[in-house]
Amino acid sequence: MSDTMQETSAVLEARKAYNETLRIKADQTRATWFPITLMILLMALPLLQFTGNYNYMLHMVLLTASYVAMASSWNILGGFAGYISLGHNVFFCIGGYFAGMLVARYGWSGIALAPLAGLVAALFGYAIGLITLRVRGPSFIISSIALVMIARLLFDHWKFVGGANGVTLPPTELSVQWAKLPYYYAMLFIAAFTVWCSYKIKHSKFGLGLRAISKDEIKAEAAGIDTRFYKVTAFALSAFFVGMTGAVWGEYLTYIRPSIFLVILIAAYMVLMCILGGKGTIAGPVIGAILLTAFNEFFVATMGASELNILGTGVIMAVCLMFFPHGIVGTLARKGKLPKILNWD
Amino acid sequence: MSNFLTVKGVTAGYGDGPAILDDAHMTVQKGKVHCIIGPNGAGKSTLMKAIAGMLPLRKGEIEFKGENIAGQRPDQMLRRGIAFVPQERALFPKMTVRENLKMGGYILNNDKALTSRIDEIFDRFPILKERADQHAGTMSGGQQQTLAMARTLILRPEVVMFDEPSLGLAPKIVREMFGIVRMIADTGVTVLLVEQNAVMGLKNADWGVVLDLGRTLFEGPSAEVLADPRIQELYLGGRRAA
Amino acid sequence: MDQIIQVAVLGIGLGGVFALMGSGLSLVFGVMRIVNLAHPSLIIGGAYIAYWGFKLYGIDPLIMLPVCAVILAVTGILFYKVFFERDAKSATYSEMTVLLTFAIAMIVEGALGAAFSNTQRVTSPVYATDAFFIGDVFIPKGQLYAGIVSIVIIGLLAAFLKYSRLGYAIRATTQNREAAALLGVNVNMVGLMSFAIGIGLAGAAGALTSFVFSFFPAKHWEWVAVLMSLVVMGGMGSILGTVIAAFSLSIVAAFVGTWIGSTWSTMTFFLALFLVLLFRPQGLFGEKPELV
Repeated sequence: MSDTMQETSAVLEARKAYNETLRIKADQTRATWFPITLMILLMALPLLQFTGNYNYMLHMVLLTASYVAMASSWNILGGFAGYISLGHNVFFCIGGYFAGMLVARYGWSGIALAPLAGLVAALFGYAIGLITLRVRGPSFIISSIALVMIARLLFDHWKFVGGANGVTLPPTELSVQWAKLPYYYAMLFIAAFTVWCSYKIKHSKFGLGLRAISKDEIKAEAAGIDTRFYKVTAFALSAFFVGMTGAVWGEYLTYIRPSIFLVILIAAYMVLMCILGGKGTIAGPVIGAILLTAFNEFFVATMGASELNILGTGVIMAVCLMFFPHGIVGTLARKGKLPKILNWD
Repeated sequence: MSNFLTVKGVTAGYGDGPAILDDAHMTVQKGKVHCIIGPNGAGKSTLMKAIAGMLPLRKGEIEFKGENIAGQRPDQMLRRGIAFVPQERALFPKMTVRENLKMGGYILNNDKALTSRIDEIFDRFPILKERADQHAGTMSGGQQQTLAMARTLILRPEVVMFDEPSLGLAPKIVREMFGIVRMIADTGVTVLLVEQNAVMGLKNADWGVVLDLGRTLFEGPSAEVLADPRIQELYLGGRRAA
Repeated sequence: MDQIIQVAVLGIGLGGVFALMGSGLSLVFGVMRIVNLAHPSLIIGGAYIAYWGFKLYGIDPLIMLPVCAVILAVTGILFYKVFFERDAKSATYSEMTVLLTFAIAMIVEGALGAAFSNTQRVTSPVYATDAFFIGDVFIPKGQLYAGIVSIVIIGLLAAFLKYSRLGYAIRATTQNREAAALLGVNVNMVGLMSFAIGIGLAGAAGALTSFVFSFFPAKHWEWVAVLMSLVVMGGMGSILGTVIAAFSLSIVAAFVGTWIGSTWSTMTFFLALFLVLLFRPQGLFGEKPELV
């Protein structure tokens, strides 16, 4: 008996030492200056417009920012709660159409409408979540794909919103040089806001509950977590930011059409960005979005074919899943080699 | 006698996890009923899985008829005559009783022999014959356990291992299960049992093994195990003490 | 009245094809617990083989069917070896495998698109546009043949599962993987064979599809949702459930298509899926209260 006692105390010692190293690690790896500096640099980027035409670069940053927002948003449900949705572009579409129709009919500003559009998307998310979150795993994923197909059918045949041809929105009255700026700042702000919110969510009691759900839902429920409410709320939240992105994106493109929102590739990108960067981490979706947007641009520029693009996306996704299931941030963190500037958790 | 089946210094665990079995040993005698007892998490089921070839050993030997058989696959163990019925859910619920028995003889790969062996089983267990074309999942707990145990006999094994055959059954049915165990042993088949109800298990066995923390604390004739005051106190609920 | 019979007959014909598409999917899910989102893209692959067989050599798609099945079965084995063998060992389902099949679907779609472009194609043997008339009931031969062949293949599959040794092993592994392994079933081999058979069935379905529907590489997304609806409704892994769901929903879809508008007929499947999720999440024929 005394033998066991000694063994136990040895275990306790080891545990103490381990906790100590964890604490030290956590202390060392906070570098909030990095995202803030990055943000300031990006805010200042449009100054380049005084020196020439950098619209392409602004467009690329804007595009990346929109994906950062969407991937980070997806991460709240997919990364934290572990519910993989392949139909999140439905909320992109809802946000885009809600704001877009008000822009087209009443000439309101899509950017100003973005929060409202996000709210509408969140409401839909809540309602849909009440149905689809009754099941887990494969059934949930399937229901999310079905959601895209339903939305596509509805929007393609809904006369009021122009059916498959969509609606053209009035272009901005700004000169070419400055036309992108409102959308640029709006998207940048949405992206930063989403990342910040996802950080806040992860470190809240709510976020803890979500992670408990992703680990073991039954135990989480037994521990007194209202899993249903948590899941549905996570779904609504993750629809919110995607909806906001859609509102700005539609106005930026100056047209809304089912074929720009409701293609499976956009949903696939959200998933892939998170997996590539590191599902469930804060920096992961951001890094994934940057890498994938860059890769995509390179691919389209060099090969031009969207078929090869799909093929390439599939290959990257398969390779990631098979060899780096924890993504860049997750894998580095596991090895203890994550650079300070990428640890945003 | 002692050369039949011996477990020597076996250490094993799941995946990269901690060792569940830590230097366990056990002597199995031909034709006897052996009961392994111990508290929850002692490693009783793990010991059976190790013998059945379901998890690799980190250390130790399993000697069967003078040969070290550690590290072989479940189907190889089966061919050597060692069969295992895991705890609960050992059946194919949407297959009929007959189909379940056929699966019991899967490695025979001989339909004719299989049919006659199934008929033998039906003669010994009339209840199964009655239910032959019923889905296994629709039978009562006792009938399902009977089927699971009877199924191992198709291959005419030398050793059968049952992990908690009494789990979730009413006392009357439990007695029936032990009756079946005895009947199997009487045909010369060696039986290993894991039992949560230690007293009941030992009373129905010839040989008792006490396992705790993955180690064998004691083994001997079950009457001796039952009579040992230390074991009574710690494992048989004799007296409530620390 | 004639019209009702008419529509029902069309529904049954399509139901057969959908049932065949879904049964392979259901088989793979049952054994491997993998929701193979790439299944429909492989059906399109099979359709292309039949299409080129007809276009280049004039071989009837019904004769090409076994060829498609074999080629796809080999592809299935290849995919199993490359993508799933490692996961199969752990025998645990994870979201990762679903995403992996999603990635494979994109790979297949991209490869087909790069090779054959995204134009709509359809194989056109004579019977594809021909029809029988029984009284006033009009039965297109293409759908009729496809329906009959599908039902025959499903019957063969059922007999194979019921009576053959491998069929026993497949059913046993589906119901209780651990117990099957303990009885000497090589569950890895069973996984491989289930992939070969399941994807082979996708090839066979592809051959039939090639003259029933017009197809193009990206078409599979439409079917993903339809087929998955069938599998969920059938109760994840129950082939019988999938087949029943396929027939009943196809008939309903045919009526919806006739009376409400053809664009809405696929909506039947999605709405049914959501109704099932709402009222019977384990599927019509599933027993588990909660899905894996």
